[in-house]
This record gives sequence, C-alpha cells and structure tokens, in this order.
Amino acid sequence: MGYVRDILAARYFWWHLALSDLRSRWRRSSLGILWSMLQPLGITILISIVFSRLLNVSFLEYAPYVLSGIIFWDFFASNVSGGALAFVQNEPYIKQCRHPLAIYTLRAVLANLVVTTVATLSLVIVVLVLKPETLGWAWLGWLIAAPILLFTAWPLATALAYVSVRFRDVPHALGLAMQSLWFISPVYFDVKMFRSAGLDGLVDYNPIYHLLELTRAPFLRGEWPSLANYCVSLATIAGLATLAIVLGRRMERRVLFYL
Amino acid sequence: MAYIRMTSVDLHYSALGLANRSLKGAALDLLARGRKPSRRIRDIHALKNITLKIGAGERVGLLGHNGAGKSTLLKSIAGLYPPSAGSLEVVGGVRALIEISLGFEPDATGRENILYRGLLMGLKPSEVRALEDEIVAFADIGEFIDYPIKTYSSGMQVRLAFAVSVAVSGEILLLDEIIGAGDATFMEKAKERVRKLIECSQILILASHDFTSLQSMCERGLVLHRGELIFDGPIAEAVETYSALHRLIS
Repeated sequence: MGYVRDILAARYFWWHLALSDLRSRWRRSSLGILWSMLQPLGITILISIVFSRLLNVSFLEYAPYVLSGIIFWDFFASNVSGGALAFVQNEPYIKQCRHPLAIYTLRAVLANLVVTTVATLSLVIVVLVLKPETLGWAWLGWLIAAPILLFTAWPLATALAYVSVRFRDVPHALGLAMQSLWFISPVYFDVKMFRSAGLDGLVDYNPIYHLLELTRAPFLRGEWPSLANYCVSLATIAGLATLAIVLGRRMERRVLFYL
Repeated sequence: MAYIRMTSVDLHYSALGLANRSLKGAALDLLARGRKPSRRIRDIHALKNITLKIGAGERVGLLGHNGAGKSTLLKSIAGLYPPSAGSLEVVGGVRALIEISLGFEPDATGRENILYRGLLMGLKPSEVRALEDEIVAFADIGEFIDYPIKTYSSGMQVRLAFAVSVAVSGEILLLDEIIGAGDATFMEKAKERVRKLIECSQILILASHDFTSLQSMCERGLVLHRGELIFDGPIAEAVETYSALHRLIS
C-alpha cells in the first residue's frame, strides 16, 4: 500500500515524462501526431490487399479487422520491448532518487496508450467510412477497453523489466517469443480460420484474443464485448499483477545493483 | 528534528550484478550447487559494521580513498542502497547531490528539463515554475535554455543540473564533492550557493578530498577505509588520521 502511495506521490514526475516521450516522438516531423494514424493505415492497406487475395475474402471486410489487429499488436509489442528496457533506460533517475520503480514502466505504458488511442481514431474513421452501420452505444466500450489495456500492459512491462535487468538475455529472447505469440493468435488471421482448423484452444484460452475483442466487438460489429472477454481480461490483469508484485518483492531494492 | 542513526550497518554489493547475467549461467549454477565452489566473483563488502549517530546541527566531513565507501555511505543514507544487515534510520527530508550530472531528456529543451528534474526531486509543477527564473539565471547559459539538451556542451549540462539541484534545500544535505565543473566564475558562484544551502539544512554530510573546504565547512570528520569507519571525531584530527593513512599506503 505504501508502494501505491509513493507512485501517486510521484505522479507529476511520471506524467510529465510520459508527455515528454510523446513530444519527442512527434517533434520536428511536419505531420507529427498524424504519423501515429497513417503508419498503421499504410500497413493495413498493404496487408489487406495481399491477404484478401490469398485468403479470398473481401478487401473492405478484411481491412478494418487487420487494422484493429495492428493497432493492438503495436501496443502490445512496444510495451513488451519498451518495458523490458525501462529500468535500463531510466538508470540516471534511478541512481539519483528513490522512487518506486514501477513509475518508469508506467511512463512507457502511458505514452504507448496515448499513441494507441490516436491510432484507434484511424480505425474509427475507417469504420465510419466502410461500415457506418456499426456506430452505436457499444463504441463506448473503448472507455472500458483503454483502462483494461493500461492495467494489463503495466504489470506485464514491470515484470519484464525486473527480469530483464537481472538477465540481459531476456530482451533478445522476447523478440522471438513475440513472433511466436503473434503467429498463434488471431491478430491478422480471422478467428474463423482458427476455429475451422479445429484450433479453438488458441482462441478461447488466449488472453490476446479476448483483449482484441474489447475493441473489435464494438468497432467491427457494433456489439458489446462478451462477459467471457471481460472476465478473461480481468483474470489476466490479476495474474500479471501478482507476478509483478512477487517479482517486485524480491527485486525492487536490488535493481540498482544490476544496473 | 532531523537525525541519522546507523547501527552495525553492513552493505554488500551483489556481485551478481557484475557477472553471471545470463540465464544459462544461472541454470548452470543451480545444477552445480553443492559441488566444488566455482571461481565466482564474491559480493563486494562495501560498508562494514558501521555504527554512528548524526544529530541536527552537525556538519560532518567524510574522508577516505577512492573506493573506501564514501559514496556508498551517502547513497545508503539517501535510501538508494538497502543495507544487507544492521539498521539504518533517517528522519528528515534528504536532499542528495549525488550523480547530478546524469539524467536529462536529450530531446527536450533546457526549460522542460528543469521541470522534469524538479519533479524528480519531488517538487510540484507550480513550485518548479516559481523557481524557474531563478534557476535559469543561476545556470546562466543564455539562449541555450530554450534549445534541446543534446545541443549542450557537457559543461552547460552540469551547470543546468547543478542549478536545479541546489534550487531547494533539505533538512539533510548530502554532498559528494562540492562540484567539479564549470569555469572559475561558476565555481565561485556554486560554492556560494552551496554555503547557503548548508545554512538552511540541519545536517550536512560532505564527502570530499579537499581539506580546505572540509575544515571550513565541517566540525566533525569521519574517515572510511575499505568500508570500515576507522575514525570519528573533530575534523582536524580526521584530516590528520587520513593523511597519516595516506602516507602509510603510499
């Protein structure tokens, strides 16, 4: 509890650092913040053209699906890679002042969440053009999805940061792990393809699927996510938070020795 | 009233941080457990059985060779390093000028970095803004204050870091060398400012090799040698002990 209080006490610090990350990301490019919308759109067009031919599905049907997958995956992947390096990158601050270490992963995750929110605007625009009939109250589901994404990514990034500072191989291994996860999750490939191949397990027991549904159900189908989606997402948060707390108990004060 | 009390404090640097960072190494160690001891780096015993009490109003100088444990002692008082044994009690707000030249956001301007560093030190945004003009004037780096930090020379970075770090005082002031940067004018200004900070603080601990400033600023002296506290008494005698030790070694 004291730990949470310290995080709140340092709120101005991590909040401004997150803003600083965003500013330096968009600084000095003429399109600035627009890049965070254009970049996933560009990839989506490319992938959708190829995949719609390969898989024989309609481009217009497939493009929003791919876009939602890319936006989620960018968020997930940047939190994993950024989270793993969070303590190393904030070493000068960690060496000067004693603050809870979780504020440094929070800094990274918050900045990523803002980028993801901006990218989600591009999804909203695409859907408004291609599938305006999905517009409805369910779109408010994003307001629930965003905090869930934050509280999933934060403990995940924190746990990875503790492990990575001790074992410097981990950030390298994570690249491989992420590729494997991408491959077995319905990020670009349609859920129906997994189910028709009898791979239901990769969907139903995969937290990534359920987290993806938190944005896909509202924006792609105009529906609220299912109770199962919310339950699995909350269980994932609980699991990751437990992991981060257990690791933190052992590691928090020792991180400085490993830097 | 502020005070610091250390009772039989031991501090080990985990040698794991220096070697054996790989998963493979950790797994092999697990397998090899119980067999012949391998040639591992041993934990560094940085502070050995330190017992001392520093009360409000005391000005303490810290002497010792490089690696004697001066910085480690300051960092453990600042709450950065956890003691591995013994008890450490620090009452009062700590302002530590340790490794201050580190930690800027390179893409952000000098002004923005004043804000971040002020917040790092626990100030509120409004408090930093109130101090901003004074900090800018003290750093005295002209128009560069609105340029990104990555355009700064190292001297300018130190000046800015120093200006922010000394903008507010604390009840317990920890100094690792007064300052070693900037031109002669800046050094003079910096010393003046540090003197003011010291006046506002209740406790000063100054680690330094400069006998003159130690003797002018402190009354009590501690001599550390290889992690052990070998002398605790008046500063003049501490300087003598340290000099004698120095002659003995060289």
